[in-house]
Parts: sequence; structure tokens; C-alpha cells
Amino acid sequence: MTQPILLRVSNFKAYVWDVDDINILRSHHHICGILTGTLPHLSSQNIFLGLPLQLMPEEAVLLVENGIAVLVDDPSAHHTPSPSVLKSWKEARLNDVRQQIALTEEKGSIEASNPDRAMSENAKRKRKEREERRARAKSDGVPCIPAEHSPSPRPTPENPSQTTVGETPDNTIAMPSGSYTVNIPASSSKLEWYAPRSHISLTIAREAGIWLYPSTLQERARCGVFRDLWEKGYYMGGGIKFGGEYLVYPGDPLRYHSHFVASVIEAPDAALRPMEIVAHGRLGTGTKKAHLLCEWNDETQVVSYLSVEWAGFG
Amino acid sequence: MDDALERPRHQPATTTLDPAEEESSGGEDGGLDWTKLPKIGTARPVIPKRGEKDFEPAPGGGSGLQVHVLDRARAAMFDALKADRAISSKSASYGIWCPHISRVHVTVARGIHFSVMGHSAARPTLIDDGSMKLQKRLELLPEEALYLIERGALFCWKDIQADLTGLDDVEGAPMSVQQAFAEIIGKEDLTLEKYQVFAYLRRLGYVVTRTDPPSPSYPVPSPRIGGDGASLSFYRRLSSIFSLFTTSFLRFWRGSVHWWRPLRISRWIHHDKSHSNVLKSLRVIPTGHSVAPHSSRATPVAPSSPYKIFYNMYKPSTNFRKTTPPQPDFQIVVINARTAFVPSLYELTELFNVLPETPPPLPRKRGTPPVVQSSPAAVASPVSTSTFRHIFSWLLPSTPQPISSQPRPHPFAALKAGKKNIVIAAVDSGNISFFRFSQGAFEEWPTL
Repeated sequence: MTQPILLRVSNFKAYVWDVDDINILRSHHHICGILTGTLPHLSSQNIFLGLPLQLMPEEAVLLVENGIAVLVDDPSAHHTPSPSVLKSWKEARLNDVRQQIALTEEKGSIEASNPDRAMSENAKRKRKEREERRARAKSDGVPCIPAEHSPSPRPTPENPSQTTVGETPDNTIAMPSGSYTVNIPASSSKLEWYAPRSHISLTIAREAGIWLYPSTLQERARCGVFRDLWEKGYYMGGGIKFGGEYLVYPGDPLRYHSHFVASVIEAPDAALRPMEIVAHGRLGTGTKKAHLLCEWNDETQVVSYLSVEWAGFG
Repeated sequence: MDDALERPRHQPATTTLDPAEEESSGGEDGGLDWTKLPKIGTARPVIPKRGEKDFEPAPGGGSGLQVHVLDRARAAMFDALKADRAISSKSASYGIWCPHISRVHVTVARGIHFSVMGHSAARPTLIDDGSMKLQKRLELLPEEALYLIERGALFCWKDIQADLTGLDDVEGAPMSVQQAFAEIIGKEDLTLEKYQVFAYLRRLGYVVTRTDPPSPSYPVPSPRIGGDGASLSFYRRLSSIFSLFTTSFLRFWRGSVHWWRPLRISRWIHHDKSHSNVLKSLRVIPTGHSVAPHSSRATPVAPSSPYKIFYNMYKPSTNFRKTTPPQPDFQIVVINARTAFVPSLYELTELFNVLPETPPPLPRKRGTPPVVQSSPAAVASPVSTSTFRHIFSWLLPSTPQPISSQPRPHPFAALKAGKKNIVIAAVDSGNISFFRFSQGAFEEWPTL
């Protein structure tokens, strides 16, 4: 058995910060989570998001109960580094910066022979674009505009990293102090002062006060239904935009449409209003899905399913 | 009427999207094709199209082609996720996270972000001669700092009580994005849901500020003229109790109730029985939102209600000045969709009480621009009678309003837009849905 995946918990939310872990969760355990961070190189859009991966509480509970993952109290895992540790961190950074500058200077020296090589990828791109634009302006209205350029929205002016990086290539060579790349690490795993302490079971985590889910009947019902569908091999996503608790996919949501919208009914004797059935049936059919009513029995821990579809007779 | 209704509310953003997306269940289904993302650093960032999806995998875990395409999509996604936050040292900003005051003290501010984020605050600072002095410095709220760290514009140190001599430019413990998520969220009323909404809107270019200043030095829009606010809501509630009596009483005096009407000659000459007049005379009970909903409890909204305005939002086109922010374009309530219920009428009323009225949408201009005329009544009325009328106006029969030549907004468009608007962002573990609740002014637009 491989090492359990560390779920970093803070404010009762579980995150995954390692891309390899996300891969394992998705490919082996069909757990998707939802990406919630800004992609650093595409920071002005909301379609594609980046690290961290936020897990639904049901997903985290299932992973811990199955021994696939353990919970880590993240705020307390970041210790205060001692001055000596900081010193070594600083030296490592200085070395890195010196290397970068040396590399730039080396490139600068051969710049005369080939001006393209000394520039960063970004700068090259900018220059290429500039040249293309000039060429386009000259040939005025020639239809062969590259496809990836024409529909792209202009990067908004609130994106300084791109504009400034593009403008500095000349300075990079001229300035004796040199410009270098500052890296903001995403995950803390490589920091010397990061020492996670894992909580193997939900009970231990609950006693430590970092994780409370599930604590009510409704939350238990959600976890039960989630587990049952997951064990049947489905991929699950959040279903709030379709009027249910989950979207149920037959395969990876990256490639397949969901078949069901699942809504959780807490108990066999819970009231179900006819209006709900109408609304679910109507909405599910309108979005090419069947609505799944999942009824949780807290005593027997069994889920029973009913699906609703709009028949449309008449 | 169709003209006013079909008027586009905003530019359709679907010009670059392919038709395949439209047919796939509204596009909400996460039909993301990561393979269309440009490789890091190779091309200019382009927001790629969404890809097409299959109905279901072939039996036995998918056909060879399906497996191949899925693997490619996953690999592209993980490649994109591995991108690191690398900034040039020339454009990097630096800050120090001070957990005890929940602020990031910005030591080096670079880039355009600081024109809409951060505020100056006076803090006691140790100056060279060893004494403490109040000095102004640039500070970021937790959500602002986290957003800048996350998008790779700010390098943040954590303030640690340690001797940092001999480490010249190291100002604390360097923070990773992970640490920032773990430590910054939860401070100064910032929940993950609120941060997600903030970041979502900022990524789109909206300017987002707090509605309630977390500290006195935080700039907020100056109070609205007319003094809306808590006092007004109290007054409204008080007046609503009497409104039923007062309106009928006043109507009696003003002459809206024409008790002498049978005596008037005009009644026998003209048959004043148009629909609008008949219906108007039938309207006994006052309608509209000036009458607060009745409740047996003194405070129908629990103090723990999640429906409190948290953010002010400005469109990117608004001329925003950080030090003197204008009135917001929208105000936003952020709720956790897992714990909050749909807002009750009382909660909505409470929200609308503090919101300003928005003018009705103007009808679409056709051809000639509307000519604005000054109302003749304002010029014509003599001074002596006007003061008299001014004082006793509530006693006298109301004079008919001069008909202005301003184009009247279409009633349906005005009803749809509402008088007051609140945006509610419901977040369900990372899924953000925005809803707009508006107070329709049905009593002002009678469809007679």
C-alpha cells in the first residue's frame, strides 16, 4: 500500500495541494473535487482554475474512512523557522539568483550572434507578436491571421506580470544587478519548516477539533448516498446548479456528460412535496438528465433510489 | 414593448464560443477541455474553447480512443496545474503578513493592482532613533493579500518574532500559497466562500471592496444623501403602522376621495368612467413596499442571519478612486449554500431597507435624442401662492403633475429591473452561483 494522501485541513475545509495526489485521486479513486485557485499563467478568467483542489466534505470523509487519505491540520503544520533555517533558505535563494543572473549574462554575451536566444520565452513571444502585427498592418487585411490570435481577448491591464516582463528584456542585460525570477511556492511540502502531523481517523480529527463533518442527520445522509454511488463506480460532482446535491457521471467529467442529478432525502419518512417532483422532473429532462431521488435510511445504512423523468404524454 | 424587452442587458460573451457548447446542457456541466489550454510560456494566454464530451464510456472502461482522449485531457490539466508562480524581480511586490492585526503590510508595491486594492493605515512604527511613532503605511485586507499571492504578484513574508539580523532582505518566514490559504482565510470575517467570490470577481476585472469598514482607516463611500440606513428602516416600520389610517385620512382631505362627486355637475355631463378611473377608485388597500411585512416578533430577522451585505462591487468601467470610493454599482451578500436557506421576506426587506433606489432603465433611443424641457409649472407659479401651497400642500387637492417630454421607461422593463437590487452569491463547496433579487415597484407601474 502506498503512502496515504495528505488532505490539508484549515477552517474545516479539505484541500489537496500536490498535483500528483490530484492525479491519483482522479485516476484511481474517481474523486474529482473542485479546483478553486487562480492559474498563475491565466489569471484573468474563471473557466480554468488552478491549485488548490477543494474537496467536498463528503469526498474527504470517504477518503479518510477508506484509508486512502489522512487529515492534516494545516495551520499548525507550518512552524516558525529558526534563524539558522532561514539563513540556509536565504543562501539557497541567493545561489539560485546568482545562477539565474549568470545564465542571463552568458546568454547576453552570445546575444550578438543570435538576438533571439538571449530573451525569455515571454519576450520572444512578445517580439514575435510585434513583428506579426507589423506585418499584418503592412499587408492590411490579409485573411491569414493565425487562429489562436484572432479571437483572443486582450489581456486586461490588470495583469502586470505579463506586461512588465515583456518590457524588461533590454534591462535584463544592461542592469549589473540583474533581474531574476521570484518564485512563490504553491505547496508547502518542500519548505523545511513544514511538518504535518496526520490524523488517521475522523474520530481523532474530531477530537482535535479540526474536522466535524458529518455531525447531523442530513450530513450523514449525504455521506451515505455519496459513498453508495461512489462504490457503484460513478464520478460525482456538485449539483447545486441543477437543483440537486450531486451530479452523477458515468466516467470522468472531463470527457463525459452526467446522467443523473441526485438529491438526498434524509429519511424514509421525510416529506416530499409534489412540487419538488414536478420541478425535478422538469429540470432534469430539460438538461438531458434523469433526476435521482436518493433516500437514506440511517438505521439500516441503506440507500434506495428512484428516478424521475418527464413523460410528456398528451 | 418588445423593443424595451429585447434590449440586450450586456454584450453577449459567446462570440468566441462554438455552438457545441450551447447544446450541451447549458455549459455548466464542466465541459472543460484542458488540452486546448496553451502550453505554459509558448503562446500568449488565450481563453480556450470548451471541448465536446461523450455521452458515456464504452463498456469495459471506455474504448481505446476514449481512453486516449481522456488521458490526453488529464495530462494537459495536470501540466497546467504544475505551472509555478514565477515573477520577474522587477515586478514583484513584497509584503509582511501580520496575523495579530489581520493585515499584510506592503513593503514594496509594484504594478497596477494597488490602484484598486490596499489602504493606508497609521501604525506605530519603530523609527531610527528608537522611539515609536505613528506612521502611515500601505496595508492589504486578507482577501486582497491572498488574491495577489495566489496570482503571483506578491511575495509574502510572515511576521515572526525572531531576530532577523544578518538576513538583510529577509523580513520574516517566506509563505507559500498553501500557507496563505491556511492562515489568511478565517481572519477578519473572511471565509473561504467570501474569498472565492472575491477572487472570482477580481479575476473578471471587477473592483471589490468591503461594505462595512473593518477598521476606521478603511475608505468607504460617503453616506448617501437622504440618509438611508438603520434609522430609516425604523421610521419606515413605525410609519407603516399608521400608513393605513393616514393615507385614507389624507386622501379624504386632498380630495382623492370625491365625496362631493355626486354633487358635481361634470359627473352628469361627462361619463368619467374610464377603466383607469374605475380601477383607481377600487384600490382601497395601499400596495407596495412602503408597507413593511407584518410580523408578530419585534425583530423578525435573527441576528445570526447570513444575509448581510459584505462586498461592494464596481464595474471595471467605473471610475474608481481608492481613497474616495464612489457609490457601488452592486452590493453582494455571500452565503454558504450548504447551511443557508433561501432568504425570507423579512431578510430581503431588511436588505432592501439599506439599499439605494436605482432609476428605471431608459427605453431604447430611436432616431432623435429626447428633448429635455424644463417643466412650465416651476417657472409659472407666483411666489405668494407657492409659499402658501408649500405649507398647506397636504391639505389641498393635489395639482396634476406636468407631463414631461422625457421618454417614459417601459413598465415591464422597469418592473423587471426593479427599484432596488441585491446580488446574492451562493457558494456550495467551490461552486459559485450568483442570484439577483430585486424589489419590483408594482405600485408605481400600474398596468391600467
